[in-house]
Amino acid sequence: MNTKRMMLFILLALGAIFLSACSGQPLANNWPGLATDDEHAYLAAGSFVYAVDLESGKEVWRYPVEADSKLLFYANPVLTADGQLLIGSTGTEHPFISLDPATGKEKWAEHFTEGKGGWVAPPLVLNDTIYAPNADGFLYIIDMNGKETADPVELGGALWSAPSTDGSLLYVTSLDHYFHVIDPAIGELNDPVDLGGAAPSSPVVGNDGVYVGSFASTIEFIKSNGQHKALATTESWIWGSPFLDGETLYYADLDGKVYSLDLASGRQNWDTVQPDGPVVASLLVVGDQIYVGTEAGTLVALDRDGKTDWEKTVGGKIYTTPVISGDLILVAPYQAEFVLAAYDAAGKQAWTFVPEK
Amino acid sequence: MWDFIWTNIIIAPMTNLLLWIYDFLGHGPHMFGLAIILFTILIKVITWPLNTSQVKGAQAMQELQNDKEWQDIQKKYAKDKEKLAQEQMRIYKERGINPFASCLPTLVQFPIIIGLYQSITRALSVTPFDMLKLARTIYPFQNVEGIIPLNSTFLWMDLGRPESIQILGFALPTLAIIVALTTYVQSKLTMPASSNPNDQSAQMTKMMSIYMPLMLGWFALNFASGIAVYFIISNLLGIAQYAATGRANWSNLLPGGNKKTSIKKK
Repeated sequence: MNTKRMMLFILLALGAIFLSACSGQPLANNWPGLATDDEHAYLAAGSFVYAVDLESGKEVWRYPVEADSKLLFYANPVLTADGQLLIGSTGTEHPFISLDPATGKEKWAEHFTEGKGGWVAPPLVLNDTIYAPNADGFLYIIDMNGKETADPVELGGALWSAPSTDGSLLYVTSLDHYFHVIDPAIGELNDPVDLGGAAPSSPVVGNDGVYVGSFASTIEFIKSNGQHKALATTESWIWGSPFLDGETLYYADLDGKVYSLDLASGRQNWDTVQPDGPVVASLLVVGDQIYVGTEAGTLVALDRDGKTDWEKTVGGKIYTTPVISGDLILVAPYQAEFVLAAYDAAGKQAWTFVPEK
Repeated sequence: MWDFIWTNIIIAPMTNLLLWIYDFLGHGPHMFGLAIILFTILIKVITWPLNTSQVKGAQAMQELQNDKEWQDIQKKYAKDKEKLAQEQMRIYKERGINPFASCLPTLVQFPIIIGLYQSITRALSVTPFDMLKLARTIYPFQNVEGIIPLNSTFLWMDLGRPESIQILGFALPTLAIIVALTTYVQSKLTMPASSNPNDQSAQMTKMMSIYMPLMLGWFALNFASGIAVYFIISNLLGIAQYAATGRANWSNLLPGGNKKTSIKKK
């Protein structure tokens, strides 16, 4: 009998350990956010934001200096013209923080959401105003000193992507399936457009409208007056933003298929291009190459015809959109041996970055 | 390998069932809470025979502790563990008692609780990575694009987060308190009376009736409130099930209520 009861105690303890291990407190981690300027890469990866020297791949600074269990970072950091690096926390506390990109010193940190939601999405800076979307469904309007200048705009569903802009209007997608057009001076224009599925990525702005992908597995073209039409469908959910290059729209889906849509004719430029895994990250188009990061941890460079120029096994899972700085392509894999790697245009690895403990 | 098995045997069916019920209910506000309640009832119905065998098994083992023959062999073979074990097995066999019958439902409950917790957090997807894992979990025949993300509101709660109600500036964890109370009531009701002061089983059961409410209350305090809803409904159904057998010991809920003598002479 004792043995049996002891077994029960052990089971209970194991249960506690199991539940603790999968606890949502603080929020579970996520793939990193990445940004760059001419000198540094800025990586939001869990407890820290890192600045990494692009020449050497060495750490320049980290924020905070010591890990704070209440803070967690994974939105793409945003650099501003007046020398700030903006990033919000998704931990148990949700400060929105401005850092000095050169030193990593905190310029200001403000709480706008009363702890309701984390900063999954990066902000947009337009005309010296910060538009910061929050997972609580509000778009916060902040001046460059961290003070709210207007009431936040309630958009409903959680906001996981940065607003896009044509220079005057803001285009915002929401997880509650809706697309919003906002005039900063007036507020929301038109009725929101129902996309039929959650939209976790930013719209891409074209000449006379925007292009949006969603979990409805469609690419929608939407004008600023709210008129919209489905341009194309995919076989699975679209996670990353489309990439507009002239008259061609590039996008990918969770089945791992990469598409190239000719906007003039409405036809696909190639049949089936499917690298080795699902594609969550947005595509990066530079020169004649289309860079695709896959869940299988491979960075693939396609040419304009969809043929593979080269592919590189990075490791882990690539969910973060690659970014380019000078001659380097930066990739931030998730659950890999390193958190950041740099490649040249031929796919040769320049360096990898592993944070010191 | 273990992750693959766990995901495909436990998490995926549970998550898809929760999503199916949520969709069936109309996928509006409060519906995910109702989906968890219906899910809990379904689990209770499925594990009903196991729970019944647990009740019977526990009762039989408890009665055995007060049995004259059982107590005699404890004394007689106190220094011969091997012989004692043989005699115990003989008595188990003679009386048709499975000593592990009361453990099996507990073994079954743990994967359900842990799986349900992971299914709830996965279904509610508070991070992009959770959402991606959800996308991997959904069965092809489920057409859930229209219902994702789920509405996590239930009554005053966000089912993806720990619950509390602000009262006079204090965050009162009402669900955690209800979980602890219902767990306490359930364990007290199912605790058989014992007159044997040296009855180790009764002592352990008494400890469990204190330990379990505290532990489950702690879970409810710290984890997504959806799991607390599961605990409460499961406890209430457990109490109802036990009461339906006519064996509920309601006097145990009162201070000093566990005085009844129930020695069975064999």
